Order: sequence, then C-alpha cells, then structure tokens
Amino acid sequence: MNQLLQGLFDGVALGAQYSVIVVGFVVIYRATGIINFAQGGFVLIGAYVTYNISQTWGWNFYLALLMSMLVTAAISIVMQRILLQWVLREVVGMALWLVLWALLYFNGWGHAPAVAVSLLVGLVGFGVTRRIEQHRGSGQARELPIFGSIMVTIGLLYVIKQVVPSIWGFAELNMGDPWGLNVTRVGGLVLSHAKLWTIGLTVTALVAFFAVNRYTKIGVAMRATHFDHEAAVAQGISLKVVFAVAFGIAGAVAALAGTTAGAGIAQLTTNLDLIVFLAFPAMILGGFDSPGGAVLGGIIIGVVQNLTKVYQPEWDLNWLGVGFDRVTVYIVMLIVLMIRPYGLFGTREVHRV
Amino acid sequence: MSGPWKDLKVRYQDDLRLFGSPTLRLGLVALVLAYLFIPVWWETFPVTRLIEGWGLTMTTLNYVGIFAIGALGLNLLTGYTGQVSLGHSVFVGVGAYFAAYAGATWDLPFWLWLPGATLLGFAVGVLIGPFALRLRGNYLVVVTLGLVFVGDHVFRNWRSVTGGNAGVSVSKAPLEVGPIDFRDLTLFGHGFEKEQGFFWLIWGFVAITALLVKNIVRTRPGRALQAVRDRDIAAEIIGIDLFRYKTMAFAISSAIAAMAGGLYGTLQAYVSPIDFGLGIAIQYIAIIILGGLGTVHGSIIGALFVGALPRVIDGLAKDFDIPAVGGDKGGSGGILSVSSLNQIIFGLLIAGFLLLEPRGIAGIWARVKAYFKAWPFSY
Repeated sequence: MNQLLQGLFDGVALGAQYSVIVVGFVVIYRATGIINFAQGGFVLIGAYVTYNISQTWGWNFYLALLMSMLVTAAISIVMQRILLQWVLREVVGMALWLVLWALLYFNGWGHAPAVAVSLLVGLVGFGVTRRIEQHRGSGQARELPIFGSIMVTIGLLYVIKQVVPSIWGFAELNMGDPWGLNVTRVGGLVLSHAKLWTIGLTVTALVAFFAVNRYTKIGVAMRATHFDHEAAVAQGISLKVVFAVAFGIAGAVAALAGTTAGAGIAQLTTNLDLIVFLAFPAMILGGFDSPGGAVLGGIIIGVVQNLTKVYQPEWDLNWLGVGFDRVTVYIVMLIVLMIRPYGLFGTREVHRV
Repeated sequence: MSGPWKDLKVRYQDDLRLFGSPTLRLGLVALVLAYLFIPVWWETFPVTRLIEGWGLTMTTLNYVGIFAIGALGLNLLTGYTGQVSLGHSVFVGVGAYFAAYAGATWDLPFWLWLPGATLLGFAVGVLIGPFALRLRGNYLVVVTLGLVFVGDHVFRNWRSVTGGNAGVSVSKAPLEVGPIDFRDLTLFGHGFEKEQGFFWLIWGFVAITALLVKNIVRTRPGRALQAVRDRDIAAEIIGIDLFRYKTMAFAISSAIAAMAGGLYGTLQAYVSPIDFGLGIAIQYIAIIILGGLGTVHGSIIGALFVGALPRVIDGLAKDFDIPAVGGDKGGSGGILSVSSLNQIIFGLLIAGFLLLEPRGIAGIWARVKAYFKAWPFSY
C-alpha cells in the first residue's frame, strides 16, 4: 500500500511537470495551430537562466524563478515573431545585430562597444526595413503550412540545444534551489520537498492560467481566436497580441517546468529538454486543444510512468529492459488514440467535403 | 532551331517519358559516365581532388547515396502521399539489424539478406500503416515520434539480436554477387579499394530506387497517392481506396528505408542505437525539405547537400579560422565547437528553406529551368 501511495505521489509530481509543459503546447496550438517542438529548448533556457540568476548572481531562488519565467517568455515571443510570423524587419535587425556583434567581438573589440555598435546598426536596419515595408505596403506575415511550422520549430530546437551549452557548458550544475535533498515523512511516505514544491508551484501557475483564460479580456480573445481566426479579427482582436501572449505563456511555463525538473536530487544537465518528448503523449492523451485535458493527461502519464518504474522489478518484467517506463507512456497514448482519435477531451475535427 | 514550343507536351506518352528531351538524354549519359568513372578518377582528377580537399571523400559520397535511398522512400510517403513520418530512422534500423543478424547468424548470401531486409521493412510498414489511416496531421506526427522511442527501446534491449547499447557488427554480412565481391573488388585484373566497390554498389541501388519511385509516382498508383495528399476525402470520393494506398505508401517507404539500412550497416560495418535515433529521422526529413518535397531528383540533391555539408564545414574549419569557432580538439578560444556549428547551421537551414524556398533546391532548379525555357520572354 505504502509503495503504491509513494508511487502515486512521485508520479503526480512528475505529472505536474508534464502538465505545465503541455499547457504551454496547448496554448500555442489553440492560438496558432502549431505544435511547438522548440518548447524543449525553452525548458532548457528557462532552467539555465534560473541557475544563472540564483547561483551566479546570487539572487533569491524564487525571485530568480520569476525572472527566468519573464526572460524565457520574452525570448519565446521574439522567436515566434522572427521565425513563425516572419516579420522581416525583425529578422533583418536581429541578423545584423548578431553578425556584427560576432565580427566585432572576435576581432578584438571589447564587450560593451561591440554590443553597443552592433545593437545600433541592428536598430537602424530594423528601422530601414520597416520604412521599406511601409513604402511597398508588404508588411504581411507569411503563412506557412502546418508541417512547415513544425519543422521550423525543430530547427529552432537544434539551434537552442547548441547555444545553451556554449554559454553554460556541459557540466552538471546545481540549480541552487532551497529544497535540496530535504524530505518530510508522513507515516511511511517519503515526501521530497522538491516534489512538494513542484506540485505547489505548478498548481499555482495552472490556476493563474485558467483564471486568465476564463476571466480576463485577453483570455476571451484567446478563446475567440481558437474558435475562428477570421471572426476574431473581425471583432477587433489583434492576432499579433494573441500569438505573442500565447508564446509568452508557453515560455513562462517552460521555464517553470525546466527549473522544477532540474531542482532537488536531479541536477541541471543539457539533456533536460528530453522531458518534452514525454510530454507529447500527455498532450495527445488530453487532446490537442484542451487545457483541462492537458493537466489530466500530464498527471495520467506521470503516474503511469512512475508506477511502471516501481512495479517493473516486482512483477518480474525486468526482461523488458531499462527505461521501459518511457515506452509505456507511448503505449498508453497509442491505446487511447485507437479508441479516441482526438484524445480524451480534444475537439473532433469536422471535415467539410 | 528549337524553340519553347518544342518542349510542350501534347501526348500522354510524352509526359510519361523519363528522358524525353535531348538535354535530358545528354544528362543521362553524363550521369552514367559519372557513375562508372567517379570511383576510378576521384583521387587523380584535379577538380575532384579539390573537392576531396574540402572533406568530400568517397566514403562521404557513399553515405550520401544511402541517405538518398532512404530519402526517396520518405519522399514517397511524405512528399507524395502527404503522411508526415518522424519515425523513418526506425525502419532504417530494422534493415541494418536484419543485415547484421542474417549475415552473422544465418550466413545468408547478399542476394538473400538484402531482399530479406527489404521484406521485413515492408512487413513492419504494413503493421504501422493502419495506425496512420486512423490519424491525421499533427496526431500522426506525434505517433510516429513515439515509434522512434519504442524502436530505440527495442534496439537497446533486445540484446541477443541488436547487441544492446554497444551495438553489433555487420561486417559478416556478405557482399558477393556471383564472382564479384564489392568489399574486395577486382575487375579486369585490377584491384579496387573498399570505398570504390561500395560506390558502385550503393549508387547502383540509388538509381534502381529512383527509377522505382519515379515509376510509382508517374503512373496510376502515384496519381492516387498524390490525390490522397491533396485532399483525402475528395480522393476517396473519386474511388481511391484510402486504406490500400496509405498502407502501401507506408509499406513501400519503410521497405526502401530498410534496404538503405542494410547497406548502411555494411558500409559502416557496425551499428548501434544512436545511428537510428530521432536526430537521424529529422535528418531524413531535412533532406526531403531541402531537396524538395514531392520530387525524385530533390531527394538525391538534398541528400548530397545534407550529407556533404558537415564534412565540408569540418574541412573548411581546418583551413580557415572561422570567428567564434574553436576546433573540436580544443582549438583557440572559440565559444562553439565545429560540431555545434554544424548543428546550428543544420537547424537554420531547415528553418530558412521552409521560410524562403518551401519547394527546396528542386524548386530553385525548376524556376531556373522555367526561366530559360521561356527565354527571352519573361513568362
């Protein structure tokens, strides 16, 4: 009994991390119709930014977490505007800035002058492109096929996965969380503080998200956008704002998931983004466009994965191999999909002929 | 004088012809000559020696050939039938492990184990196909992603066949066709290196596979597949059996992938699970995106591009001092290693091509061709 309860607790803590990642997926999917594979990259960025602020700069951990959520949200929004909406002026400005910075910095310029000069040139490029676009009247965002956008986010993931270690290195790092290895024992159960906090922070974030989605104006705008892009625009909703908010929320929750995943016993490594590939089944399970389903799917996947890990040796299933818990997750997903092709709570697609 | 009107196709037979124009026939002759003489001349001919200096060796060309075969299979499925698969590398792995097992344990000859691997890939594809029938779009992407993880788990844990994490040797799989052994080739009393033998073997299969795929897509089944891609409900209404064609597309695609896998195993002489992970699956998708979705020659051009680019960058990084990039073996104070630079360029290329030229290199080629076809008129 104790073993089962312990397995359930650990599973829920794991599932909470999945849930919060999946909410990020679902928000983006509802707004834009894209599956954002780069979410793994943002998990990585969020975790390392938290590490940097709390360990290198020595700030309070919770403050660092909050800052990291903001920073990651900002990066996520910028990436979305550059790569998925393809706003030319931002692409040109960004490219000029980065290339010029690299040229100056590696030709012996100091840090500050290189950044200042390249930033200035980048801004000028941004402005000039904007003027040209206004002049020619072609400031339109490009439309990509769905499969195309998925591949673009995969490309982004490749880039982030290389850039992060080039800044912070490959070594395992200590996140600097105040929980460490502390545990509380409740009648035979071992409740690790990191896991309790994970559940607590996740619930807080999810409640905040659902409140925003339900009661605020931007939440209504997001739901309207999901329902029908054109009708939403006709009502005066700005798609740009909705997309930006969706990617911002996704970036923030990714930072939360990354930080909690790298805290406690687990160390901060550059493989942290792999957690996202286990969140995909959770998303499928709940249905692509249902935030409630995302939470439930995440918890189910977390519990299934953890119980497999607990009971595999006990039921003489060791011949199935190490890491079989990661496969069961996909098997559960397949079974659910065969019965309900749109997940547990997903909207059934209606195909007009 | 030939004018633009000469190229207009007025009969169905003209449309079906593979090498219909004199230019294309000349191109065919050039390709055949290149196929025959590249292995002989690669290290002596000045131009190819220069290319080899950039890091594009015979071995790289052989890998490119294998990528091309696998990409042809994936293009049939993704480019022509519209079913996105992130699990292509698993089928490649199935073929490679079959080659290892059949060669070492059953000691099958070449003309038995290669078709065997292909058949096994076909069978696995038939099993996976029905899943694809029930799912569409994004759901299919994630399910095929799951296939990669399940496949990886099987490769790592079915130790008696796959050798687990350490992998298994494929060097026992024989490569003899009658008196010709491609590993240790002797023709007209002249001995050839292993790479040269492999070049003839692999690029021969590239030609056969390309012809096969081209024949599928230019005839009735191919038109059915493209109809499924463009609008599956409409396709069903005009009488296309969705179950049959989607399953067939999966099966043929994975059969081709398994064949590529068998050749990959023998070329590398050793395979382990990291050769068939998600990265490789994405690489195959990158090949067909860069080359051009829904084109046969695009798969091969894309393979050349994706296969050769890392080697060329490696080669260039040795000769030139690229800012911010240090050598892999602890070069002078860069913030990136050459392999990270490769990955970054790879990612940027995928994103960049999709944003700027969604039809890939084949699209650029088609535009250049169209321009000269109508020359001197602009349209």
